[in-house]
Amino acid sequence: MNDARLHRLRARSLKLLQLAALFIAMSIICLPGLWVVLNSFRPTVEIMAKPPVWIPQELNLDHYRAMFGDLGEGGVPVMRYFTNSLIISVTSTVIAILVGMAGGYAFARYQFKGKAAIFIGLMLTRAVPGVALSLPLFIVMARTGLIDTHIGLILVYVSLNVPFTIWLIDGFFRQVPVELAEAAEIDGCTRWQAFWKVEFPVARAGVASAGIFAFLTSWNEYALASQLTRSTFSKTMPVGLRDFTSEFTINWGGMCALAVLMIIPALILTFLVQKHLIAGLTFGGVKG
Amino acid sequence: MTRPRLPAWFVLLLPAFIVLAAVVLIPLLLSLYSSFTSYRLTRPETLYNWIGTFNYEKAVQSAHFWSAFGRTVLLLTIALNLEMLLGLGLALLVNQVTYGQRLLRTIMMFPMMFSPLLVGFQFKFIFNDNVGLVNNALQSLGLTNVAIPWLVDGQLAFISILVAEMWSSTSVFAILILAGLFAVPRDPIEAAKVDGCTPWQSFRHITLPYIMPFIYIALAIRSLDVARAYDIVQIMTNGGPARRTELIWTLIGRTGYVDAKMGYANAMGYISIFLAIAFTIYFFRKLNAARAELGMGG
Amino acid sequence: MAQVTLRTVVKKYGALQVVHGIDLDIDDSEFVVLVGPSGCGKSTTLRMIAGLEPISGGEIVIGDRVVNDLPPRHRNISMVFQNYALYPHMTVRENLGFSLKIAKRAQGEIDRAVDEAAEILSLTEYLDRKPGALSGGQRQRVAMGRAIVRHPDVFLFDEPLSNLDAKLRTQMRTEIKKLHQKVKSTIVYVTHDQVEAMTLADRIVIMRDGHIEQIGTPLEVFEAPTNTFVATFIGSPPMNLLEGRVAQDAVALANGITVPVPEAFRAHVTDGQEVILGVRADNLMPVGHAMPMEGAHAAFDMTVNLSEPLGTETLLFATLAGEEVQAKMLNPRPVASGEQLRFQLDLTRCHLFDAQSRQSLR
Repeated sequence: MNDARLHRLRARSLKLLQLAALFIAMSIICLPGLWVVLNSFRPTVEIMAKPPVWIPQELNLDHYRAMFGDLGEGGVPVMRYFTNSLIISVTSTVIAILVGMAGGYAFARYQFKGKAAIFIGLMLTRAVPGVALSLPLFIVMARTGLIDTHIGLILVYVSLNVPFTIWLIDGFFRQVPVELAEAAEIDGCTRWQAFWKVEFPVARAGVASAGIFAFLTSWNEYALASQLTRSTFSKTMPVGLRDFTSEFTINWGGMCALAVLMIIPALILTFLVQKHLIAGLTFGGVKG
Repeated sequence: MTRPRLPAWFVLLLPAFIVLAAVVLIPLLLSLYSSFTSYRLTRPETLYNWIGTFNYEKAVQSAHFWSAFGRTVLLLTIALNLEMLLGLGLALLVNQVTYGQRLLRTIMMFPMMFSPLLVGFQFKFIFNDNVGLVNNALQSLGLTNVAIPWLVDGQLAFISILVAEMWSSTSVFAILILAGLFAVPRDPIEAAKVDGCTPWQSFRHITLPYIMPFIYIALAIRSLDVARAYDIVQIMTNGGPARRTELIWTLIGRTGYVDAKMGYANAMGYISIFLAIAFTIYFFRKLNAARAELGMGG
Repeated sequence: MAQVTLRTVVKKYGALQVVHGIDLDIDDSEFVVLVGPSGCGKSTTLRMIAGLEPISGGEIVIGDRVVNDLPPRHRNISMVFQNYALYPHMTVRENLGFSLKIAKRAQGEIDRAVDEAAEILSLTEYLDRKPGALSGGQRQRVAMGRAIVRHPDVFLFDEPLSNLDAKLRTQMRTEIKKLHQKVKSTIVYVTHDQVEAMTLADRIVIMRDGHIEQIGTPLEVFEAPTNTFVATFIGSPPMNLLEGRVAQDAVALANGITVPVPEAFRAHVTDGQEVILGVRADNLMPVGHAMPMEGAHAAFDMTVNLSEPLGTETLLFATLAGEEVQAKMLNPRPVASGEQLRFQLDLTRCHLFDAQSRQSLR
């Protein structure tokens, strides 16, 4: 009897310990983000206050108003950056998905010599550190006049996203049984029709999540964008974030507001695809 | 029906090959070439000034380079190992939860959607010695009354960067390992229980081998993206102050763009590329081996 | 409605040849079953007829057209897959009507054809469900419905029942046979289950290692197998095979047991020839528990090692000439292991095969 009680006590305290650990972990994950969101609503005076003000005395939309205002706070053209980011991310994502779909389909459906080597080769292009790639890219783009243009950055982001898109889409197409396409062919489809009418709709959710992943990569990329963009004509939001810092001062509140603007689309999109994303990564990776 | 001359798989992969050749391969060949010249951005004619392996010798003999290189490897090793362990722990914790697990999983993905740049900025703010959350908290709790120079002191800055890097990437491990835990079949674990295994033994001998491939997928994905750390460091300290947090990537960036010594920067860039590729190939190998062990290959 | 003809059809994967020049003539509205162990090339043959695998050599004719290079969509065939291959993103109605929609038929015509097929297969009430919400048997019927809506020349079935449980399998088997009687199309059906082959087929094609071993009606292949492979593959339990040597119109088996050479084989054997005697369990029965044997028969004692009661009959495992053989007992009574019984062997239903070539000596 005593033994059983001891066991129960131990099990219960273990459970409690687990919950505490979980709570701490989740707090650590959430806190930095919430801190940024909170400060985007606080006046600069309060952010800078010494001793710190823990309970916000005043919350307002000043930083947002300034950000969306005509000249922006400190002259940062946030809307311009937002549009640039949107155009570049969306376009590069669409192209990367098309290219990645062709490639992923090739890996999922065809057997050929050196398949594994080609796959790893493609992946390795992604492993090249952005800053190391940006130097020669900068030279090439400067020569071809693509520096500080949307097209230049779109092209770069397409190539950045293609390897990963191929990985994900390969995984999703592999979950679609070959027989489906065969059945469609027997039902009178051409290979092309079989793909668009059967295989693609079945794998659609997966392809969409690969697209969102590509979008986020483009949306968040900094190392290359910081070198390949020069002016408000092509600067993206991550690069624009630096406009809030000068040699000695940082406009924390304004930066927080821009950060929130960057995170919101990312948050929404990630929530939409989280389930498929994990499935795609693990399926492509684990089942060979 | 005429047979196409090129096999279908090749035609399908061609766009990918072309884009990657144009944006990655050709520039890399150019940088390989320029790493053997004394190319300076400000003097274009120096692109044709062949100086052999001088840049590489210079890099190899440079104390700055080696300290940045060493710091990079140290940061990556510590970060990847800690991330893996923390991710495993987090995944195991979440896996125990039955009620509200969906919510927890969603929260877990939170840091993944943050731009590394934002992570850097966020932690620059949090670790700011004057208005940062950490110092504010420590001072309010009365633990210290000085402003701890988190981003100024070399060692503290290294730790701050490590924390930021771990915050941003632990969830990649946690999410993928959790997916692995879902995929572990129940039968062998139940069989082990009946055979008298302790929870630790069944974890060690059944669960762990099953989730190994998932751990390696996470490592492979991370190694494809290790240079994410550049964005974080660039914004937090930019290698400074006085090179105290210099990583190989910030060193390259500064040498290339600020000092305009493109040839030299490209030589160091090549060394960093090989570092990244070595990491990646290593993990892909491991992934294949772990897969083969579970009979999931082919 | 069409005949299907295969002329020396060959399939190679690189250096590996999996189908070795097979010839086969399938009549209009005939039900032909390709049967054989896994890896025998039966599915590959079916997929070549469908056009899903390119042909490495030979010729396939459907109707009066050589279809070697025609893609599947131009062959006017339909196929039921082992895993059904239903389109998961479409409702049952859309699944059934898909081929007609691709062929750009009028909506009214599609609706009529779908309703008709649904009627035949009693799927009407499930038309608006997605395949994911159906049971195994219902999915199987949708797969068949998808095949019949377009009234193809030829139906191809690739192990369609192997994913169903035993009871449902028997039921669907009957439905397929009824369906054939109703639509009267040519059917080529692949299975590894010889019972399915026997019950469904007009003619059975038995394949092994990419070769055709025998073609014939179910009764032909059962009663006159051309070689030991067919003899043991068709029929359950498999035919007992005993090695022996011909001596003076008798086959001398091991341990001094001799059996007279069956009448039908007399003219085809010579003294001293090494042969294999084939006996089905149905023709080897204990005295008093046997079918009446009117023709020539032999009798000997055997010790029963094991018995498996099946209700109307009991399967006996006994030793004959050093080999374990299976025998059947009608009107069974309990039999103990080690019990010795006198057995009768029906010589009119015995088979003789050459020991080297393993071909029938008839």
